Amino acid sequence: MSERSIIHFNVADFAVAVERLCDSRLRGRPLLVVQPGSARAPVYDMSEEAFGCGVRKGMDLGRALKLCPEARLVAPHPERYRRAMADLLRAARPWAPRIEVESESGHLFLDVTGCHRLFGPPPDVAWRLGRLVRRDLGLSPIWTVGPNKLVAKVASRLVKPLGEYIVGGGEEEAFLAPRPLHLLPGIEGPDLLCFHDFGLYRAGQVAAFSARQLAVPFGRRGSHLYDLVRGIDPSPVAPWEEAGSLGFEACLAEDSNDPAVVERELLVLAETAAGALRRLRRVARRLTLSLIYSDGGRAGQQAASSGGSANDAVLFDLARGALLRAWKRRQRLRFLRLACDRLAPPPPLQLELFPAQPAGHQHRRQRVADAVAAVRERCGAGSIGRAHVFAGSAQGGASVAAGP
Amino acid sequence: MSGERSGKNGPSILVGTSGYSYAEWVQAGFYPPATQSGRMLPFYARHFPVTELNYTWYQMPRAEPLERLRAGAPAGFFFAAKLTRSLTHEVDPADWRRQASLFREGIVPLVQGRQLLAVLVQLPPDFERTAGNRRYLAELLDSLAGLPLAVEFRHRSWLHDRVFAELERRRASLVWVDEPELPHLLPPLDVVTNPELLYVRFHGRNAAGWRSGVMQKKFDYLYSEAELRQWLEERLLPRRGLFSRGLLFFNNHVGAQAVTNGRQMLSLLGEAGF
Repeated sequence: MSERSIIHFNVADFAVAVERLCDSRLRGRPLLVVQPGSARAPVYDMSEEAFGCGVRKGMDLGRALKLCPEARLVAPHPERYRRAMADLLRAARPWAPRIEVESESGHLFLDVTGCHRLFGPPPDVAWRLGRLVRRDLGLSPIWTVGPNKLVAKVASRLVKPLGEYIVGGGEEEAFLAPRPLHLLPGIEGPDLLCFHDFGLYRAGQVAAFSARQLAVPFGRRGSHLYDLVRGIDPSPVAPWEEAGSLGFEACLAEDSNDPAVVERELLVLAETAAGALRRLRRVARRLTLSLIYSDGGRAGQQAASSGGSANDAVLFDLARGALLRAWKRRQRLRFLRLACDRLAPPPPLQLELFPAQPAGHQHRRQRVADAVAAVRERCGAGSIGRAHVFAGSAQGGASVAAGP
Repeated sequence: MSGERSGKNGPSILVGTSGYSYAEWVQAGFYPPATQSGRMLPFYARHFPVTELNYTWYQMPRAEPLERLRAGAPAGFFFAAKLTRSLTHEVDPADWRRQASLFREGIVPLVQGRQLLAVLVQLPPDFERTAGNRRYLAELLDSLAGLPLAVEFRHRSWLHDRVFAELERRRASLVWVDEPELPHLLPPLDVVTNPELLYVRFHGRNAAGWRSGVMQKKFDYLYSEAELRQWLEERLLPRRGLFSRGLLFFNNHVGAQAVTNGRQMLSLLGEAGF
């Protein structure tokens, strides 16, 4: 396979950068983007100054203010971030046939493989686009060039909050070898603790082990980790979609480690997401579930559906699968975020020639979901729902919000 | 490795290309199929003894990857490194001194390995000879003192005897360029300001491409053998006694034409007794 050229653009602390564009008085001092009013509210984003004081995303506001008392607070404006992201995409579109929005938080992957005859070498494309974004949008992106998304992203994390890095094909393993393991996407919390227990702190140390050896402590994830520390990542840059992704989040009314409570909130998120997808006439082929624990710890997992879906029950099943894989600690949960991306038009309906169940189960579920959506469309989002969700709400449910 | 030409009691001339890591050079047949960019240098070094690193213009050099690059090249291979854009094209008056210091730190592996032949200070076309720019250039050269410097001007206002004299005093090389004959571009130069190093860049003579501003058109040019021979006879040979080492870099990288012309130049230098 010929070498790929992937550019990663990342406007660090995207929400902060956008808020500072809107209000220049916010520049040059610590800034927290957070829903004010509750000391439990998780920090949505923070400036580099606040990061330097120890504030992290997901940390509760009370603790963040103890660490950084001089920080100014701004409420999140998801619509602003979506618009800024759309502008960023618009600037990038002429430069690459494939653009992936990793999430609506200032991350873009551009696959410029084979474009050199049109636009020149990839570093030149990255530099010119970066200059354009700075001039036209007032945002200062990090840009990196690598042979795959993994390497390009690690390079971005290395130079954050500002800078550039070029990694050539064939240099992946040598580039990663001296890097701390926490810089590698996908190695978090429990994995890191496990590696540290073995006295392993850098990618190069882990690369000394075979996939079989890594399977002993990590099970089936062993082979994934084996590839990760070597910079092997064949995942494609997913084609750009008009509505790149949708995100929905919920802050639990009280921190909880009760699976029934958490699943109830997840169901609300899945139903909200499915409704939004149906309104857009799209299906989601990938869900990303992000969790924030009450101590600020984070976890996340993804679930994919090859054909995509906008069905409440299907999305909930996918999300619940992700929840089971992501929720590894006994610590109580505070915050859930469900993002849907790899959006696509619904596949054409193909009836089965020999259906296993006439008027099958799936079909009935779809009809129920459509009926529920129709009622919500007419009478409002809270007008109809599953009984146990309403029961949960009566005991103090969460608020759901659409986010970037 | 081949590519260094040394005449009897004359200067040694090294020929290379401006950058070596181009995907299109695989398609053009210079690199074997599927050669990855990170593995091109050892192959390149079989053909040329020196390269001009242009990635250091886009990205501040860092010691760790540069050491890896250096280690991948054979002994006796040399580098020139382009000065980072934050010191030439995108200068922040409040930060450039720190940038200069970062550059010096990043370039250390090549200096310690005695493989750095030059730092190319390429100045932008709008960098005119004003009092402020003169002061900045002087301070920039001061901050890079001790490194072998070569200065490429792209604005005609710098073609002045006092500028040449100052470069001579600092032992910095005035870069000769071969480029299209356009009114706003520099004419061919023949002033040698540093007896230790002559630095020449061949940008190609694609006037239409240069006007387009598109890199792939700007540097899309193949010198004919007659053009190279004429350049050699009219420009280099008459001044061969004025310098001890010459670096000739071909920047017409589109379609690997720089490789073709580099090889032709080596052959012509051989014929000329180098």
